[in-house]
Amino acid sequence: MPEQLWFTHILNNLFACQVTGLLRAVHFEPKYPQAPIANSAAMEFLVFLILIVLFAAVRSRLSVDKPGALQHIFEGAHGFVNGQSEEIIGHHSEGYTPFLMALGCFILLCNLIGLVPGFESPTAVPVVPLGCAICAFFYYQAQGFKHSGIAYLKHFAGPMPLLAPLMVPIELISHLARMLSLTIRLYANMFAGDMVTLVFFSLVPIGVPIVFLGLHIGVSLLQTYIFVLLTTVYLAGAVAEEH
Amino acid sequence: MRRLSNLFLMLSMLSFAVPALAQTGEASMGVNWVAIAAGFSMAFASGICALAQGKATAAAAEGLARNPAARPGIQLALILGLALIESLALYTLVIIFAKVK
Repeated sequence: MPEQLWFTHILNNLFACQVTGLLRAVHFEPKYPQAPIANSAAMEFLVFLILIVLFAAVRSRLSVDKPGALQHIFEGAHGFVNGQSEEIIGHHSEGYTPFLMALGCFILLCNLIGLVPGFESPTAVPVVPLGCAICAFFYYQAQGFKHSGIAYLKHFAGPMPLLAPLMVPIELISHLARMLSLTIRLYANMFAGDMVTLVFFSLVPIGVPIVFLGLHIGVSLLQTYIFVLLTTVYLAGAVAEEH
Repeated sequence: MRRLSNLFLMLSMLSFAVPALAQTGEASMGVNWVAIAAGFSMAFASGICALAQGKATAAAAEGLARNPAARPGIQLALILGLALIESLALYTLVIIFAKVK
């Protein structure tokens, strides 16, 4: 039996049979059949539940005359993401804000939940940032196709048709490398933050790890911002019109 | 004051003798070259990353000083550039965690 957080333990007690059955139906044998849900998956699910509750609370309290504190916070965040995407993508960028905002909220809460004792950051496991990067990748490719149709493939050909045989493999690899870099950047920052806190905790148990937890908060915010910013830049590359 | 600083200098030079307390290396399993290379490569990557980030920050500060009205654009370029450079040093760290036993 692996080491489980209390929330993972609750989820495994409730859903272990169904999840193991589902995994076996796709010919995948979980390593611990009594505890098929990993810590990172359980933490992701918890973040999802918290976000749903938060968004429902904001939605139910929207008011034009007397906006409350939650509305102010979310209007501020929405305005920030909207302004940034408008600056980078140009006109007609409001359609992309819901995805960017949801991505940002999810990654931010995933990063910060590791600071609370009894929970761990799901983004400290390589699979979770990979999931976010794959979502971002398919989103911007889909938006590129939706915006330009099949002519989107001309983006991969480079500036001149003569250079196309050289440029297509380079562009393909660079697009795939974007997924890799988004994943590793987020994963390594979160993992290194945990490692550094542990190392200093083993050296000086009192006082010094707090500095590194504070650094972890700053790094979480910055890495969320960078992830959303890079997705916006890739979106701009896919849907921007050459004037 | 000068004698005090001389005393501290001599005490710090005595710390050069510390490796004498180290164990004589037992090459029973062979030298772990991967760990040694990992240490050097991480130091190299971090050093060059710091140099590059210093150059980026210096350029951003100078641009901001010349044209404070362009602050949003310069700030955006700075943060984006710093994060991309940082990620290169982080790739080295990830390789180390993947490969060093």
